[in-house]
Amino acid sequence: MKLDLANPAWRQALPPSRSVNSEAPVAACAFNRDGTLAAYALGDGAVRLLPAEVDAAAPDAQPPVHSGAVLCLIGDPAGDGFISGGDDGRLLRVNTDGTAAELLNQKGRWIEHLAQHRASSAIAASAAKNAYVVKAGEVRELGPHQSTVADLDFSKDGSRIACAHYGGVTVWSLGQDTLPPRRFAWAGSHVALRWSTDGKFIATATQENDIHVWRIAQATDMRMQGYPAKVKSLSWTADARFLYTSAQPVFTAWPFAGKGPEGKPPLQFGDEGAGLISVVAAHPTAEYVAGGYDSGELQLGDIKTRRSVVLKMADGSAITCLTWSPDGQKLAAGNDRGDMLVIDLRR
Amino acid sequence: MAQAQVPVTVLTGYLGAGKTTLLNRILSEQHGKTYAVIVNEFGELGIDNDLVVNADEEVFEMNNGCICCTVRGDLIRIIEGLMKRKQKFDGILVETTGLADPGPVAQTFFTDDEVRARTRLDAIVTVVDAKHFLGQLEQGDEAEEQVAFADVILLNKTDLVSEPELKTVEDKIRAINPLARLHRTQKSQIELDAILDKGAFDLRRILEFEPDFLSHGHDHDHEEEVTSLSFTADRPVVPERFQKWMGALLQLRGPDIFRSKGILAIDGAPRRYVYQGVHMMMDSDWGAPWKDGEARTSKLVFIGRNLDGENLKRGFEDCLK
Repeated sequence: MKLDLANPAWRQALPPSRSVNSEAPVAACAFNRDGTLAAYALGDGAVRLLPAEVDAAAPDAQPPVHSGAVLCLIGDPAGDGFISGGDDGRLLRVNTDGTAAELLNQKGRWIEHLAQHRASSAIAASAAKNAYVVKAGEVRELGPHQSTVADLDFSKDGSRIACAHYGGVTVWSLGQDTLPPRRFAWAGSHVALRWSTDGKFIATATQENDIHVWRIAQATDMRMQGYPAKVKSLSWTADARFLYTSAQPVFTAWPFAGKGPEGKPPLQFGDEGAGLISVVAAHPTAEYVAGGYDSGELQLGDIKTRRSVVLKMADGSAITCLTWSPDGQKLAAGNDRGDMLVIDLRR
Repeated sequence: MAQAQVPVTVLTGYLGAGKTTLLNRILSEQHGKTYAVIVNEFGELGIDNDLVVNADEEVFEMNNGCICCTVRGDLIRIIEGLMKRKQKFDGILVETTGLADPGPVAQTFFTDDEVRARTRLDAIVTVVDAKHFLGQLEQGDEAEEQVAFADVILLNKTDLVSEPELKTVEDKIRAINPLARLHRTQKSQIELDAILDKGAFDLRRILEFEPDFLSHGHDHDHEEEVTSLSFTADRPVVPERFQKWMGALLQLRGPDIFRSKGILAIDGAPRRYVYQGVHMMMDSDWGAPWKDGEARTSKLVFIGRNLDGENLKRGFEDCLK
């Protein structure tokens, strides 16, 4: 798909969108596999399902499926619904009719992070110091790690999973479970993790406002510093040439093509937004990127033309989640005051 | 969403002092308030309640080369998680294990910007077992450090000791920490007003402290012990000199200085300069203006281990005009 950000239409009017308020903070949002539904993880235990078409009517809210807050949510790689985790310790498969089935129950712990590997229909969830991989009805426990798993992600081919914790990252081999886990060490607390889309790098964000990246084959690592706040969101471009990071007022991309980012400044582009980017999401196939700000502003950027356009004005409620539809034509977003958005980028 | 910072109370105390009893009372009493309670995983809280969150006291060292800059990463995570709930809290209580050092918990609230934006450290409350405290002092540093860090102390189980014994324990507590408010209790029974929403870390309320314990002085025979020292000065403080001295002092002695507080009369400034710190981490701000004709007295307090009174006194005097 092609988005011409030079088209003056972007600056004359905001794109078509729908916003429904849930009165509970939105922790995560996702589209389902075929892109017909958007879902929102809410602070009252509900997973709210809304049609992805912005002009479709919003159905009534379904009752909560978790008993505390829903902390994480992804589209189900094995079905048309969603997978959610909550602070009630339950991992649920939420069907398109709003009913839910329990996949895992870790009472007393929080299910805080989810990852998926679409091609093999595998999902992974973190609960305290363990990670759980669920595939074809089987659950495998990985851990315990030295501290609570702060984020996790599958490798490109789905054969491994990386877990972030204090002191670095642990990579588990999923195919051969006799293979010992591999450790990538760096002192401090690692709070976010993304495996590069080409499988060659693992990036983490740390408590100390910087980024750490390991080159897996060579086991070498690099550190990017200078952020004014903690980076909580990382996103690799589809071609793995750039790593986008939050915590800057403009789109910020570290170049990984060729020799990598060592000794180079990051590419920064677009119009300065209000506040800092709180969530960043690279387009699933093309050269675009979406950024949500802690002020509530939303921007769409194009790394080729170095342009950006505003998709939503700042309103004082931080964007907490942001995700692309599988076809890359829509965006779903949520904020800390409970607004659940879908934006249609076709114009 | 703009909302007031949620006050956080840290509850410490040696094994068996009565923390769990106190928490159970806070959770079961009808007070019309909603408190989230973060307990350590090995705790024995009898209440199964979705306001109770298990933590695992996960401490990490900041990557800045400072050995006392340790932080509870699990608290950062849990507080962020609690803020995702629709339900809002009147307060958060953090229980530490009986052998925990309160430093990392307190420092967490100096370190993380988001935690600071959503919550404020209100006070460190330490429950002391009147019968076993003196014995616990012999068994390690923990019991002593928990008292040293405290803003509020519950001297509990007073029914199990005689009045002279109680007096001995109280004197010992006062020698370690003369600033904390001390309440005598039995079975951890106390009005919640006495322990919650105290504003002990609020720079605007720091003016309330009065170091009236100058007579304690420093005893070189017991320099391994935790003590408190306070200093006053009537000559104004030269800010550049003070900053340099305090910076170097905390850099060098941070691990041994548990708490520090100060109200300074800065040369030429119409307002008080107030600060307070936990180990090397510090907060400071301008406080209330000096009134006309008011004596502009600077006050400084340190609570810590191996404090060298002569050296601190000289250092502070060198900062004066």
